[in-house]
Amino acid sequence: MGIYVYVTRRLFLSLIVLCGVSILTFLLTRVVPSRPEILWVGPRATAEQIAKAREILGLDKPLYQQYLMYIGAFVRGDWGISIRTKQPVLRDIGSRLPASLELILVSMFLAVLFGLPLGILSAAKAGTVLDHLGRLVSVAGVALPAFWLGMILQLVFAKELKLLPLAERVDTITLLLNPLKHITGFYLIDSLLSGNFVVFIDALKHLVLPAVTLSTYPLGLTVRMARATLLEVLGEDYIRTARAYGLREAKVLGKYALKNALGPVITVLALTFAYSLAATFLVESVFAWPGLGRYASEAIMVVDYPAIMGITMLVAFTYVALNLVVDVMLAVLDPRIRLE
Amino acid sequence: MSRAFLLALFGIVAFGLWGLGAQPNVAVYVYNSEVMIFWDPSDTYSNEIIAMNNMYEQLIRYDPLTDSFQPVLAESYEKSADGLTWTFYLRKGVKFHTGNELTAEAVKFSIERTIERGMGASYIWAPVEEIEVVDRYTVRFHLKYPAPLDLIASGAYAAFVFDPEYSDHEWFAAGNDSGTGPYTVEAWKPGDYLILKKFDDYWRGWEGKHFDKVIFKVVPEPSTRRLMLEAGTADYTNMLPITEIEALKDNPEVEIVTTPSFQNLLALFNTQKPPLDNVLVRRALAYTIPYQDIIEGVRFGYARQSRGVVPYGLWGYSDRVKQYTYSLEAARFYLAQAGYPEGGFKLLLTHVAGDEDERRVAELWKSTLAELGIELEIRGMPWEAQVELGQAPDPTKRQDIFLFYWWPDYPHPHSFLREMFGTRDEILFNFTYYSNPVFDELIARAEELAGIDRTEAINLYVEAQNILMEEAPGVAIYDLKYARAKRTSLKGYVDNPAYPHVVFWYECWREE
Repeated sequence: MGIYVYVTRRLFLSLIVLCGVSILTFLLTRVVPSRPEILWVGPRATAEQIAKAREILGLDKPLYQQYLMYIGAFVRGDWGISIRTKQPVLRDIGSRLPASLELILVSMFLAVLFGLPLGILSAAKAGTVLDHLGRLVSVAGVALPAFWLGMILQLVFAKELKLLPLAERVDTITLLLNPLKHITGFYLIDSLLSGNFVVFIDALKHLVLPAVTLSTYPLGLTVRMARATLLEVLGEDYIRTARAYGLREAKVLGKYALKNALGPVITVLALTFAYSLAATFLVESVFAWPGLGRYASEAIMVVDYPAIMGITMLVAFTYVALNLVVDVMLAVLDPRIRLE
Repeated sequence: MSRAFLLALFGIVAFGLWGLGAQPNVAVYVYNSEVMIFWDPSDTYSNEIIAMNNMYEQLIRYDPLTDSFQPVLAESYEKSADGLTWTFYLRKGVKFHTGNELTAEAVKFSIERTIERGMGASYIWAPVEEIEVVDRYTVRFHLKYPAPLDLIASGAYAAFVFDPEYSDHEWFAAGNDSGTGPYTVEAWKPGDYLILKKFDDYWRGWEGKHFDKVIFKVVPEPSTRRLMLEAGTADYTNMLPITEIEALKDNPEVEIVTTPSFQNLLALFNTQKPPLDNVLVRRALAYTIPYQDIIEGVRFGYARQSRGVVPYGLWGYSDRVKQYTYSLEAARFYLAQAGYPEGGFKLLLTHVAGDEDERRVAELWKSTLAELGIELEIRGMPWEAQVELGQAPDPTKRQDIFLFYWWPDYPHPHSFLREMFGTRDEILFNFTYYSNPVFDELIARAEELAGIDRTEAINLYVEAQNILMEEAPGVAIYDLKYARAKRTSLKGYVDNPAYPHVVFWYECWREE
């Protein structure tokens, strides 16, 4: 099958998945007992105010009609108005996404930077103290609750040692003194582009604790996957042959084993990226990080359904897109994989 | 030690110290939730009042501690003997942030727009018949019936005056303001922060110590707010869990400010559903609440037992109102009289899910009820769901006990009596489903008198509350005390319960 046919088919299937997700989420947010109209007008609203709000929000119409109206507007780029913040959902998401993406990207970078070598070492020195250490890190990384770890890091590095800032994305007063031009919404990039090094350093300092906290899960997973797949590959005949030829161990590992072991690691990493979008819920709350995760958790608390729909669709889209990209990428990288 | 190591060490220290230096004259308020919900001063009804009361001003401001009014945009005011006509004399030379001058026309426009939009707390203006512009600086309110317009005009919500030329709803919603207050918007990042800067032409001037800017930060996690306060990166936070407050008590850099609030926790009994349709059972129930244990165990002393339903500190509260005590003997006596000597029934209590205080109050109460053979089912629900169950068409399908907090929209006892106990055709907040014409008549007369003869109004409210104590359609358990945490260096702060969670930043300064 040609790659274009494959991609087209996958795109079509993705559309069905997204449709399913939208229907399911829409139903779920409506099945939960909630009164969005009360949230809209405030807790002390009169009966007339509530009736007016139902009309404005379209809640007086049958459910299927509400869904069709929603999805019709959604496709046109109108994701509705958040009942909680009273702002357009798309604008709300747009203003919070860069903060989350910056945090996730840095945490993924940390996960790969430390996870990959540790996994490789762990596999190469299987059974040694180093391996035990690697396995400990991987189990701890996956098992430690992020919000707990976040608070412990805050206590140690911010409160006791006073080395790093406690929370927030950047110190607001620093930002006031050194105004930042918003170009991409990523503070690190924007501050570098505009030569604002004070904000760059401040943003970097603020990133350390939340990024380390968020990186533990992908780090643990990377160590574990890298170790497992590498160990499997190292047991293959061609590796034994290479060793029999007397090749240096570093070459065997680096040139022959690693290449074949990386596929599954990349797949897992890509999926953890989408997972991190949801994992930021708690980390962002602990670190007062003004991102999408916190927006989502606040929306869920009050059943702000347009916001919940918007975020769910975004996360679903990210999952679907990343899956597709990874599959295609692996097929391109590894000729043995057939697109079916 | 290698040079590289020393260099790295230096790097780490430099990294840690970078950015520390002289701090500008900026105050930081860390708040648990999104600050700006409504930007339109006519619609305001939520968290935004903590910022809005620094951007906008009312005609007058109320000080419940002295039961007096401070002139703000109005220098003085007078009312007619029948309480139907109120005349406000405006301060001259007051500028809006837009540069325009405050006039009687602007006041008329602002209040009329708020009434017309009909959003939020706009109904507090219900008594107003007509607003008349007498001259450029005099505005007169004609009322349909006597009402305390001074209390209404000083409201924390819905009483702001703004520039008519800049009053487009969309313009407000984009993050703009057109008030007369000491501060105006500099920057707003939804979900993150709101920065206010001083308005140079503010009518009270900028002599003396004031902050140049105020930052409102959204920090949902209580432990993070506490740590920020300890670290000095925040000056003030309005609400922390009691456990965090207790932990902060011994820190000399942090001060806890305690004030009685106008907020109380009420248990409303379903008077239309057996067995609580029987007044004897309701009375028995009122005796089973372990008031002191709740105040000590749940609120760590940051509350006082309610007397009647009007909270302590608000006019209308009186020692002449009866108070229930915790007495299982009395409860047994009334239960036996009602025909339930061994208890033997089950009650459903609903409260807002996630409110730990409410849940723990219910748990404590459950254990005392169990001693009398009464089973209490505790159900935490989202507020909207709790309301929906309370409004179910069939009274027997509703809860037996509705546990929730109440606070007034403006400092008036009426809200506590009418909303929850007054006869209503449609259930809005009367989750007692109580109806008593004598009581209704009393509070209606009291409301009329409130604007003319405060003392007589209080007498009537006392009488009405004693009826409630007798018939027990519900009980107020405790009046909440606010415990605010602020840096000790922050001076000038006064907690005014009529403006909940508001810091009037113009009055504050930092003393190093």
